[in-house]
Amino acid sequence: MSLRGHHNSTNLPVETASFLVIRLGDSYVALPAEGVRGVLTQEEAGNEQAVTSAGTIFQPVDLAQRLSLVAHLSGLEFRTVLYSTGRSHSAIGAEQVIGLTEVERKDCFPLPPQFQRDERNWFQGMMLYQEQLVLILNPLWVLGESADVVPAPLEQGREMVAATPARIGESC
Amino acid sequence: MLRGARGKQQVQVTKRSWNVVVFSIGGIKLAARTEDVGGVSPWTESIPVPSRTPFVQAMLKRENHVMPVYDLAARLSRTLIGSPLLCLVARHLDGPMAICIDADMPSLETVDATAIRSNGSEDIETHGTVTIAGNDVAIVALQRLGRSTQNIVTR
Repeated sequence: MSLRGHHNSTNLPVETASFLVIRLGDSYVALPAEGVRGVLTQEEAGNEQAVTSAGTIFQPVDLAQRLSLVAHLSGLEFRTVLYSTGRSHSAIGAEQVIGLTEVERKDCFPLPPQFQRDERNWFQGMMLYQEQLVLILNPLWVLGESADVVPAPLEQGREMVAATPARIGESC
Repeated sequence: MLRGARGKQQVQVTKRSWNVVVFSIGGIKLAARTEDVGGVSPWTESIPVPSRTPFVQAMLKRENHVMPVYDLAARLSRTLIGSPLLCLVARHLDGPMAICIDADMPSLETVDATAIRSNGSEDIETHGTVTIAGNDVAIVALQRLGRSTQNIVTR
């Protein structure tokens, strides 16, 4: 006797990645969440350049300056993001912390190949979050573990960059 | 016998004319092959992207799609004219690319291929220049736009 209508459901694992989305001026950028060690208010961070937390010294990183962005880093919503790769530790100023988000890796897409220069090292990809285009930062570059170098010649996808990228996992 | 003769009678068709889209940037008339143009639509605000690639420093979002913006007006040192400005989608070899153009609605023209002259100045990637309505108009090679500026050092 068969059990009509009874199906073995196969739940395929969905690959996801988590990001902390921050705003610098008009630009939205994201940091892979696994490196976030804390988010401090201006008061909590203090006036010193470096921030010490749980015995670790986080050196200041001015992302806005490195990305040539005009940001107002003295507003009420200013936060200091403590970020670490394990080897390096940085205190990153953010004009505003937008939020933590989890996205399916298929929803991250690469920077279009027309972007040819240092930005390919700055950003590992892009995603859409709350209707905003968010650039996913390369944490190694943020923490100074990767120099500004122009990557090898590009042979990425030549299709319109859509929310259905071909290279899952490469961008986030 | 007639069989087989047909093959010999086949005439090789050569492309004697080009269909082009004529548009303007800062009042300068430019043209592009129709097959290199993905469409024309109203311009929407672009999203700045930190970048050191010359003239590629923004992105345009259309629903779930994003495409890079090529600032052809900046490359030509022109200021765009009119309102609302238009978006011309270039079928670039690396993927679609948005170009902001003047508000003047582009027109379609057919030009004689033999009338296309090579462009001496090479300020911009072109297929050559052609005279349309008494004006010399460069036919922009949209497919490879920006490729000759890749070695320009910025900052």
